[in-house]
Amino acid sequence: MLKNIYCLVFIVVFFDNVFAQKNIDPTPEDKRFAKSLKEKYPDDTVVLKESTDYVTFNFNKKTEKVNVNQESTESMISIDSRSRIQKYSFYDEQTSIDKFQIKYRNNKKAYISIKDEAYASDDLFHIDTRVKYANINFPLLGYRYKTFISKKYHDIKYFTKLYFNNDHPALKRVIKIEIPNWLNIELKEINFENYSIKKNVSNNTKRGSKIHTFTLENIPATYKELNTPGPSYIYPHILILAKSHSLNNETKNIFNSTQDLYNWYKSLVNSLKNDNTTIKDKVTSLTEHAKSDEEKIKNIYYWVQDNIRYIAFEDGIAGFKPDEASNVFNKKYGDCKGMANLTKQMLIEAGFDARLTWIGTKRIAYDYSTPNLSVDNHMICSLIKDGKTIFLDGTEKFNAYSEYANRIQGKQVLIENGDDFILEMVPEVNSDFNKETFHYDLTLNNDILEGKASKNFNGESRAGLLYSFDTLKNDKKEEFLEYYLNNGDTNISISGIETTDLLNRELSLNMSYDISVKNAVSSFDNDVYIDIDFDKELENFLLEKRKTDYIFSFKRFLETTTILEIPTNYNINHLPKNISMSNNNFDMSVSFSKNKNIITYKKSFKIKKAKIGISDFEAWNDFISKLKSIYNEQIVITKQ
Amino acid sequence: MKIKLLLSLLLIYSISAISQTKEEKEAKNFFWGEHDLYKNVNEIPAKWNNESAVIIYKNVNYDFHKFGKKVTYKSSIRKRVKLLDKAALDNFSEFSFNKQFWSKKGYKAKRKGDVIIGLKIIKPSGKEIEVDTKENAVEVDGETKVAIANLEVGDILDYYILTLEPFKAYSAFGFDPVETTLAEDYPIMDFKLFFETENDFFINFNSYNGAPELKSMPTEKKSFRRYSLEASNIEKYSTNRWFYPLVDLPSYKFQVYFARSGKFENRARAFLPKKESDIKKEVSMEEVKEHYGAFRGSLPGSATKGINKHFKHKIFKTDTEKVTAAYYYMRHHYFNQFIEDSYAFESEIVKFPITIDRKNSIIQSRSRFFHRFKYFLKEHDIKYETVLVKKRYDGTMDDLLIAENLHRILKVNTETPLYIDFYTFHKGINTLSPLVEGTKAYLFTRKKSKIDKIINTTIPTSQYTDNESKKNISVSFDNTLSTVSLSIENYYKGHSKTIQQNDRLVFEDYIYDDHKKFGTKPMTALVKTSKKNTSRITKKFKALKEKLKENQKEQFIKLVQIEFDIKDIEDYIYNIDDTGRYGFDTYFTFNESFKIKDKFIKKAGPNYIVEIGKLIGGQVDLTEKERKRIENIHMSYPRVFNYVIKFNIPEGYTVSGLDKLKKSVDNKTGAFISDAKIEGNILIITTSKQYKNNYEPNSNWPLVVNFLDAANQFTNEKILLKKK
Repeated sequence: MLKNIYCLVFIVVFFDNVFAQKNIDPTPEDKRFAKSLKEKYPDDTVVLKESTDYVTFNFNKKTEKVNVNQESTESMISIDSRSRIQKYSFYDEQTSIDKFQIKYRNNKKAYISIKDEAYASDDLFHIDTRVKYANINFPLLGYRYKTFISKKYHDIKYFTKLYFNNDHPALKRVIKIEIPNWLNIELKEINFENYSIKKNVSNNTKRGSKIHTFTLENIPATYKELNTPGPSYIYPHILILAKSHSLNNETKNIFNSTQDLYNWYKSLVNSLKNDNTTIKDKVTSLTEHAKSDEEKIKNIYYWVQDNIRYIAFEDGIAGFKPDEASNVFNKKYGDCKGMANLTKQMLIEAGFDARLTWIGTKRIAYDYSTPNLSVDNHMICSLIKDGKTIFLDGTEKFNAYSEYANRIQGKQVLIENGDDFILEMVPEVNSDFNKETFHYDLTLNNDILEGKASKNFNGESRAGLLYSFDTLKNDKKEEFLEYYLNNGDTNISISGIETTDLLNRELSLNMSYDISVKNAVSSFDNDVYIDIDFDKELENFLLEKRKTDYIFSFKRFLETTTILEIPTNYNINHLPKNISMSNNNFDMSVSFSKNKNIITYKKSFKIKKAKIGISDFEAWNDFISKLKSIYNEQIVITKQ
Repeated sequence: MKIKLLLSLLLIYSISAISQTKEEKEAKNFFWGEHDLYKNVNEIPAKWNNESAVIIYKNVNYDFHKFGKKVTYKSSIRKRVKLLDKAALDNFSEFSFNKQFWSKKGYKAKRKGDVIIGLKIIKPSGKEIEVDTKENAVEVDGETKVAIANLEVGDILDYYILTLEPFKAYSAFGFDPVETTLAEDYPIMDFKLFFETENDFFINFNSYNGAPELKSMPTEKKSFRRYSLEASNIEKYSTNRWFYPLVDLPSYKFQVYFARSGKFENRARAFLPKKESDIKKEVSMEEVKEHYGAFRGSLPGSATKGINKHFKHKIFKTDTEKVTAAYYYMRHHYFNQFIEDSYAFESEIVKFPITIDRKNSIIQSRSRFFHRFKYFLKEHDIKYETVLVKKRYDGTMDDLLIAENLHRILKVNTETPLYIDFYTFHKGINTLSPLVEGTKAYLFTRKKSKIDKIINTTIPTSQYTDNESKKNISVSFDNTLSTVSLSIENYYKGHSKTIQQNDRLVFEDYIYDDHKKFGTKPMTALVKTSKKNTSRITKKFKALKEKLKENQKEQFIKLVQIEFDIKDIEDYIYNIDDTGRYGFDTYFTFNESFKIKDKFIKKAGPNYIVEIGKLIGGQVDLTEKERKRIENIHMSYPRVFNYVIKFNIPEGYTVSGLDKLKKSVDNKTGAFISDAKIEGNILIITTSKQYKNNYEPNSNWPLVVNFLDAANQFTNEKILLKKK
């Protein structure tokens, strides 16, 4: 009895302790407000009532670097009956998080544990980025928290941009940047055009600074869609161009111009030893029997592609400085910089003029006119020969010499050139280069469609397929080909597969085989209904709710011809109607024709710019709807 | 002072550094030293040239040594692997491990364990390169990751991982049992397993399904024992549907037990050999009896007070009724009544579980539950027997070796015997795990509450008709024939309902009915705090329930999308009609309705083709490889899927193609039977897919294929809607 009473007292005291905090539950206004927000943002669970970043700068005399302090304050409200979010902030060798605070709406500290873990990336073997995070529970609709994170950048060059959008929608987003007069920074406004961002500049004479304030209201959360363009294309943000600082009558450049950015990159490259002793023999063996310079280059380039695995250690300066070529050669692995450097050194050993080359892939919207560390994210090797530049990217697999992956096409490159640098563009190809041609030659035999088929792949469609095949287990390769060719549909039997050399990256890839398809034909009385398409490409490509451009991994061009011979005692009764769409971005058509007892079905889908832009969605969806109707429509033939 | 301290720290550090190096050297010498018989074996048989990788040598070692209470457990694995493709290269080129860890074994005081690894590459030329595991490694939060340098296709990777785990065991300690097949993902040329123990370590070990036997080896010390198991030429195996590798493939099992004295030996929760020098290979019925006879406990008289009070004014016609009521009483009082408390606690609505104020305490241990249930039966003078069962996936009772593989159930000798298994949230009385159905089991008979005899018995098997999934599907199209409306009544019973209940029910669907039924209170009624705080907790709990209901709807939608392979559905509504939680043969019932656009229908000139067969959901679609199956077929349980599809024929159309919907394949392994008829403007299709047994020998596979194919073909069948 005594024990029970004791327990009861304990519980009461405990409950009162834990839950006696006043003014943390939502007020009726909060609840009403949260409900109205849910109507506005039905797919979200938490909204930022206000989010402010306050950025200040100071000069660290010890390190002689400009430090950046970024203080982020957010006020959050739950718009669901119950929500749970993760609030996080990343840091690494160049940054630190000094404060990570969470408070209830009454400004009392919320006892939520802040965890600190290494950030694990699927793509990188090791990265020095760590994350501090908290799991925040909102037990009721209208529940509110406030967070405050203070992050320090120990060197301004790593502080590159500030976005307005966040994981959660924000009613008001304020970015306040206080620039001291001794610091020369350009705040480059990117993607501001379609947003009403209010700007204000005020002087703080006391502190000798100017405060730039940017305010944007009603911002949606970052889009949770796949195959989107890189964030620098779609979200408004401020690119920080740290140019120089002037203290004690001395002006020092940070990244005042592209030359400064290059100088810093080059200083890292210059510290490499480039002792190529260990790679000499390999270069000799790869080049000694080559009949031409081109063959020598190819042998080296293909050897790097095939023998160096992509394993990245992004640790501190290693994120910017390439590994020694000899290390990459000995280890047989490296990141893009390591592979570029090995390609360069091997080519130099073979007597060619090869240079390291910085590039931002297509995910990055900028070029080198805005010197900043977020301009590039990749390194390749440039070979300069006979006045021409050829780009070699060792991270690409099954990439033929002088063919370029879509991800670097049309992008500006920064090529090393002693104290100077060269800016060039990677050439672009059109979608014909990646053409995939399918051909089916079929006859109808007792409700079975059978005959011969072939599939031909070029450019990146070829490289992608060869690479997938190469990375499969030996004993699964045959199975995979069958599975690939019958789309995983057991109604389609494949046999007698013949392919071109699946290790040759220069040849057009061809697969021919015998095909037999059941359950594609239904006979009712004298009528036969035929579902002639087994691939139905783009069937699920209606982009009805999408908010961002759809990006393909390369410019697609697919052409399929199906010839169907029907028994002579049948009439072709019904063929679906032809459709087509043509504009600057697409050439799409589907057609049916008949000639005696032969039906010819043609599809041609050319996506010229590897993307479906939002402005094209209407036309695109209109075409896809018609395409779906065709896919859903049967060819009808009738017995005479 | 500071300097002194620093010096002594340095000294300790260097000593440990040296000893670590010594252990590393020992490990290296052990695996790759002069006695290594495989150091020059670099060739693989031609028959495996097309594999991804071939394991030239796999060596597994277990060393158990002690000094008084101090136990040193060393386990290691070495593999010498020839890499034949890039997939293998990717698989073997990165390693991650924790160099040091805290042992969780033995007495509470944690001891540090170490992991030592060694890696070397043998190039096709024969050149050996030892990998520096420190140079190409990074350590983050205790985890070391190594990217192996200079590894290429065609190389041999030879590596070992040695775990040193010292700990203290004051009484008896059982190591985790090992049950494994000889075969793995890659073929193995030679396999050797070594065991080294000394006095006080007891070994149960046996080989199964044709795996070689463990052999004794000579040792230098009398108290030391060494054993080996050697096998060669082991083909790889890949996982397959309805496959129990431990039942069909050569395999071995063992467990090691540490017991310092006879007293501890008796307390050991294992079937120990008589002497440490014996390897125990089999466990006799008598030993099982002895082992279980040794454990007895008692309960306080108040243990069944609650249940007896609950039964006070109830009249039971039969013992069956009484036992059934007792089972459900216990399921609720000792388990389910705490579910709200647990949710509230986990969701941080309360910082302390309210369970303390409930009349009973939660029972989550199998033995405590059975103890209490037996006590109740005794009190009410109802006869019962304890039955020990073993799950089908690790072999039959004749292969019993490891005590942990035995599970206790009760057979209550009511008019028709009732089987009692440990409850789960929804498990009804007389529901046994399908994994024990049809197996040989041991039954204890009792005399004066003591175990008298142990006899063989067989656990009954449910029939396919017991485990039913039943659907009544009503289908209609809109005027434009583009949108289809589906309305489905779903019924599940027997084992077929278990997964459905687990996937679909949230506590709100049943707990308040149960509280009413058993006189317990909802969580919010038990909160003892100020009015204001109670209201706060109630509100938060209500919000939690709303969220769970939202998630439930999403889950229902997801499941129906998977079932019919559909993406966008509209106007989805559902209702749970009966949770089916009281009895094996009661139906869990829910209905749902929704709309889908441009699905199941294809335009065909003026007519339409309806893919009516797809309405029975996805079926097993066998690949050519699966058709050539060589393994026996171990299914979870016999089951039947009975569907009635009522298709409203759109006005202005007639239906053709009924003949293709009529199928009948019926054999001893299973059946697929379907029929179709038109009544008025409704096409009525009935299908029944039956898996008649839970096991088929491989020789019956063609019969299984027959009915699987018939069902799969049905999903390809269509009807024609012909314009009148």
